[in-house]
Amino acid sequence: MMQPTTQQAAALKTLVIPMADDEWMIGHRGSEWLALAPDLEEDLAMSSISQDEMGHAELLYEVLHGLGEASADEAVYLRGPQGWRHAALTAAARGSWAEWVVRRYCYEVFDGIRRKALQRIPYAPLVAALQKMDREHAYHLTHFQSLVQTLAYGGPASRQYLEEAIREDWPKLPDLFEWGGRDEAWVSWDVAALAPSMMRAAFEQVVRQDFAAWQLTWPGNLPAADRAARHHDNSEFLAALLLEMREVRQVAPTSGW
Amino acid sequence: MEFPRDTPVYEVFAQREALSFPTHVGSVRASSPEMALQMAREAYFRREAAYDVWVVPESAITRAREYPEVLPVAPEEKTYRLPGGYDNAPLWKRFKAEAQTIEQVAEEMAAKKEGRS
Amino acid sequence: MQSREEAFMARVQSGEKVEVMDWMPDEYRNLLIKQIHMHGISEVMGAYPEREWVMKAPTIRRKLALNAKIQDEIGHGQMLLRLAEDLSQPYGRGREDLMDDVLDGRVKFHNVFHLEAPTWADAGVIGFLVDGGAIITQAMLLGSSYAPYGRMLKRIVAEESFHMQHGESVVLALAAGTPAQKAMLQGAIDRWWPAMMFFFGPREMGASSRRMLDYRIRTMTNEELRQKFINRYAPRIQALGVSIPDPALKQDPATGQWSYTDPDWDWFSYVVHHNAGPRSADRLGLRREAHDGLRWAREASLQAARHFAKEADHGISAGYAGL
Ligand SMILES: [Fe+2]
Ligand SMILES: [Fe+2]
Repeated sequence: MMQPTTQQAAALKTLVIPMADDEWMIGHRGSEWLALAPDLEEDLAMSSISQDEMGHAELLYEVLHGLGEASADEAVYLRGPQGWRHAALTAAARGSWAEWVVRRYCYEVFDGIRRKALQRIPYAPLVAALQKMDREHAYHLTHFQSLVQTLAYGGPASRQYLEEAIREDWPKLPDLFEWGGRDEAWVSWDVAALAPSMMRAAFEQVVRQDFAAWQLTWPGNLPAADRAARHHDNSEFLAALLLEMREVRQVAPTSGW
Repeated sequence: MEFPRDTPVYEVFAQREALSFPTHVGSVRASSPEMALQMAREAYFRREAAYDVWVVPESAITRAREYPEVLPVAPEEKTYRLPGGYDNAPLWKRFKAEAQTIEQVAEEMAAKKEGRS
Repeated sequence: MQSREEAFMARVQSGEKVEVMDWMPDEYRNLLIKQIHMHGISEVMGAYPEREWVMKAPTIRRKLALNAKIQDEIGHGQMLLRLAEDLSQPYGRGREDLMDDVLDGRVKFHNVFHLEAPTWADAGVIGFLVDGGAIITQAMLLGSSYAPYGRMLKRIVAEESFHMQHGESVVLALAAGTPAQKAMLQGAIDRWWPAMMFFFGPREMGASSRRMLDYRIRTMTNEELRQKFINRYAPRIQALGVSIPDPALKQDPATGQWSYTDPDWDWFSYVVHHNAGPRSADRLGLRREAHDGLRWAREASLQAARHFAKEADHGISAGYAGL
């Protein structure tokens, strides 16, 4: 695809905005773990991963900018809450360490599946951006798999924290698989892997395998997604998050910083 | 158990001077770590001195190349974390002050130490 | 005949370097542990004031850079604590003990990290002045008689180069910004300047600092370092159109020496010795949250390591953690 038609551009935005926002939010939240990880070595690993995620978000916002959306900086610092399409899980407040490990593991598994599906859309700037992320993603996935595995075999208390965290995050996962826009946006690409049901199935397959290897009980099938998945129009939570994130910038929104 | 036909392999690392880091130079076979040091001396240092030499059993080494996903890659996108990603000189000039670099600071401190300042 | 201690002193004074496995006088070892432990812990505690601005950084680039900068500081803490741990081996003390020491008040950290950082400009000025001061100290320590310290500092100083440019970049942007941005910068300089005068220590060095000079662990006096700092930073701050809150600050044109108002030595040293600064408790609270609160996670790693070692003995593949 050389130059997308207006219709194609709209469809692309519907698919890319959720990914860009997910990556931004999980990186933003991840930076809150700075200097709070269990040990110094883990702190370094976690920080790099959060930086990677925000860097990925920036790449995707630039792809969107090429499709007529605002610049990356404007998307993050000036966009209204109704424009955000992240899954609630990625922006959720910082909880326990075990919850973070589970959240990040689930997100990495899902993100790999979504990226593979998006890569089949023949829009060169998107494919190029996704390719740049692949290498870092492989490391992220391995790292979070190692962390879950460590907690799984870390003794009874650790295993209990892990299982509690899985129960806590499980109901929040289904939003991830939704695009938060009209079905035509993904149907039109003729890429079956973009279908929410396909992404869910692929996710379940990987996680089932891992859980079996770690002797973790399967917490049951994922519930259905909320109809308002990825829409946060009246969310007080998002409003507060944006207010904090923009506290400094709003002092002089258009000045150099 | 079958008796091995060869003595174990030790990887050899050399530190050229006190403030340099050890670098891999090769490997030797020997019956013990002490013997490995003796062998390394003549295998790799016939023409030069070393500040220190380390020998490490080959079996103790785990290599990132076997796990490609953990292999470090140069962060081409991450100019924000490199000094070259910033260009402060024009702004300093605008404020009529001199830009500085860490190399200048290090030089100044080293000069003092040698009594040149 | 020369004693072993005297011979050691003669060696280091002639510029010879010492390694961790070399014989060293207890006094030398203890001074090194004190210095490197405090240095490492200060790097870690230095993450907290800047961390307060990570969630609020005003642009994507600043947010990434601040994350990376704080991460580097934690990395410096990691490298330096490893050195202090190696030196502490004869005492049977490791990472857990050295980190417990912070929470139990057995190791001090730099005065500046006990203070408030109430605006974004403080995050910038920390990078500009605190890192600036640390760079001067660390560049001096590159010549340390303890070779492992000198080697690590080479790595650290290389990374500080980015911290220097980042800090200056933030400060320059504020100085070139709106009146509100400039006022923010002035406020931060007013807060940090006196703290920086304390940063390098008293004019007359204490007994242990003088011993460190004898042993060539360090190579310059407190006052020499402070003079280098003022000489670099005072003219630059003034060029930015920001005033320095010290009417006595003046350079003697003949000697080049700067005169300055003494910081409140008693108050700052009370803060450092009793963790009694305005933000000491909060920041130690966060360190406690990580270190004490997540002790279980570190214990889990030990348990998991034992589990996989057993599996490996039985020829079972250890999977991911088999790395
Ligand atoms: Fe540092
Ligand atoms: Fe620094």
